[in-house]
Amino acid sequence: MDNLTLLMEGFSNALTLQNLLFALIGVLLGTAVGVLPGIGPAMTVALLLPLTYALDVTGSLIMFAGIYYGGMYGGSTTSILLNTPGESSSVVTALEGNKMAKAGRGAQALATAAIGSFVAGTIATGALVFVAPFVVAIAIGLGAPSYFAMMVFAFVAVSTVLGSSRIRGLASLFIGLTIGLVGLDATTGQPRLTFGQPLLSGGIDVVVIAVALFAVGEALWIAAHLRHGTPATIPVGVPWMRKDDWKRSWKPWLRGTVIGFPFGAIPAGGAEIPTFLSYVTEKKLSKHPEQFGHGAIEGVAGPEAANNASAAGTLVPLLTLGLPTTATAAVMIAAFNQYGIHPGPLLFQTEPVLVWTLIASLFIGNTLLLALNLPLAPLWAKLLRIPRPYLYAGILFFATLGAYAAGMQTFNIGILLLLGALGYMARRFGFPVLPIIVGAILGPEMERQLRRALQISAGDPAALVSEPVAVVVYTVIVLFLIGPPLVKALRRRFGRGGPTDGPLAGGGTDDTDGYGAEVDETVEIDAFGTQTSDGSARVIRVVRSKVGRRGR
Amino acid sequence: MTAPSTAAAPGLRARLQGRSELGVAALLAVIAIVIAVDTANIRHTAINAGVMGPQVVPTIIAIGLGLCAIALAISVLRGGHAEAEDGEDIDLSQKAHWPTVFGLGGLILVFALSMDFLGFVIGSALLFYGSALLLGSRRFIWALVIGILLAVSTFYGFVLGLGINLPAGLLTGIL
Repeated sequence: MDNLTLLMEGFSNALTLQNLLFALIGVLLGTAVGVLPGIGPAMTVALLLPLTYALDVTGSLIMFAGIYYGGMYGGSTTSILLNTPGESSSVVTALEGNKMAKAGRGAQALATAAIGSFVAGTIATGALVFVAPFVVAIAIGLGAPSYFAMMVFAFVAVSTVLGSSRIRGLASLFIGLTIGLVGLDATTGQPRLTFGQPLLSGGIDVVVIAVALFAVGEALWIAAHLRHGTPATIPVGVPWMRKDDWKRSWKPWLRGTVIGFPFGAIPAGGAEIPTFLSYVTEKKLSKHPEQFGHGAIEGVAGPEAANNASAAGTLVPLLTLGLPTTATAAVMIAAFNQYGIHPGPLLFQTEPVLVWTLIASLFIGNTLLLALNLPLAPLWAKLLRIPRPYLYAGILFFATLGAYAAGMQTFNIGILLLLGALGYMARRFGFPVLPIIVGAILGPEMERQLRRALQISAGDPAALVSEPVAVVVYTVIVLFLIGPPLVKALRRRFGRGGPTDGPLAGGGTDDTDGYGAEVDETVEIDAFGTQTSDGSARVIRVVRSKVGRRGR
Repeated sequence: MTAPSTAAAPGLRARLQGRSELGVAALLAVIAIVIAVDTANIRHTAINAGVMGPQVVPTIIAIGLGLCAIALAISVLRGGHAEAEDGEDIDLSQKAHWPTVFGLGGLILVFALSMDFLGFVIGSALLFYGSALLLGSRRFIWALVIGILLAVSTFYGFVLGLGINLPAGLLTGIL
């Protein structure tokens, strides 16, 4: 197999001392920030983007990938020990994991999460090795019209499917596109939205955008509502599992992997849906359904595996099409761009060494995570007690540093503050952050593809639907857009809204502007968690209330 | 719509919150107008004939934002409202503490404006110290020590590790 040869070469590159060190730093940092409240992998990678000015491309990307994977592990620790998940993707883990910890089985919960993540991460990365070149083979023959269509698809997906409010999701997207607009137009050199300010003519640095939205916005938002006193955590020893726990865990791990990977791999990914689906599946298949809601180990094993498998799956559209579907993936695209590398089908041809070394490092990172996390779990748990003033002061410290280091301009700190205020508003008014960052990063690229598509046809817009893939993608987009409202309208006309209508009333529905009404209807749609940034309340609450009821 | 769930908590505060979202809709509309005006001022150039002009995408964005503003305003007026983001360290039952938020914003601004004079180390140590105090730290000495250590180690980390020179400002020659 050609892939395997390339992968082996990747391993020989990734196993150098320097790259191993980067992987180690990445997974350590990733786990730490996954555990730390208020910080997620997206924010961490954003804060570390300034390193791209000095480090070599392979090293920093290996580190960022380690942070991505490590963040998943760390997130599960927080969910289990604190019951308030740091990442929207570990919401489901908290359901059973925290109950287990309260019942004195925290060590088993952490163990099944860690080992399950390893199993799922390794299998899913293996799947990535085989699927990615396949996608590349198809994508390489596509022209600008298809690319443009897929970008529109990614935009629609991140702003309407994943969020709980379509209007706010779309508004976020357009704001992101506006940010991406600033600067000289790439083709014609005309200034747009620069307001005569020469420092804006090069556009707003992606580092500044990412740091402002994820770090400053989040820190200010938390500062406004900072909880007094540290929340109580459950002390825990070194994770371990009994034979019985292994027996109950291994099937959910595998099923979770199978559910998680495809959801990550389609460009409408995100980990909320697969983790929730995995939870529901395990509950249905379990021999002890009565334990669900009281700390069933299957309810931790399955979703955690699904979570990690979908994280690996997310790398398929990221590397082969250049389409990010999670906040961390969006910031990783920014990291690639810092080096003048644009992920897409050509990436595997132009940068084969980089890609395969990166993929090999994912296997290594996964193994490192398992080796580190089992013995270090009690230490990670201590991180949860870090004094909050230092934590958030530190975030602001590194945020301003990162913005300044981007071009050594104090002007950038002003932009940072402005966009940080935007990030604050987004959190205050329930606007998802993911579409903003995706719009800002992919916007210019989308315009380029649109130009190319129209150039070939001398401006005839019919060119946009001149490729079959483009037509298919547009059809899917239309279905996405009109599907849910149509179903809702039909339901309202023809009787009751579905099997789980109603139980949400007490849980607090968030959003009543149309799309939010979906939440009442089916369990699956609840899981369309906002990937806003790091920790999203709506979904947590909705899922919890519903499952809580079912458990009783 | 599912308005009943919002009607459960009536009162002045809820009504005020509803109104503040109209402000957001207005902001979206203002941004749309700014883009439209800016786009109208882009000069047409003959050189780029045959290429999609630089006006097309901004026009689409301006229209999209305008539509979002209208849709949001309508949805808010019909009783819809968004829920603020929750998190581990967030207690949404308390009202936003504006002195902290503006204090932090002000600190960042002062940091930016004094960068050339004070230099990175002094400025960022003070930024950390001030932020920690604003966020409720009462260990006055410790917070300062941590801030200084963080600033000095970052400075040297950047200069020695990454080869990026940060401004030394007042401490030029000492560091």
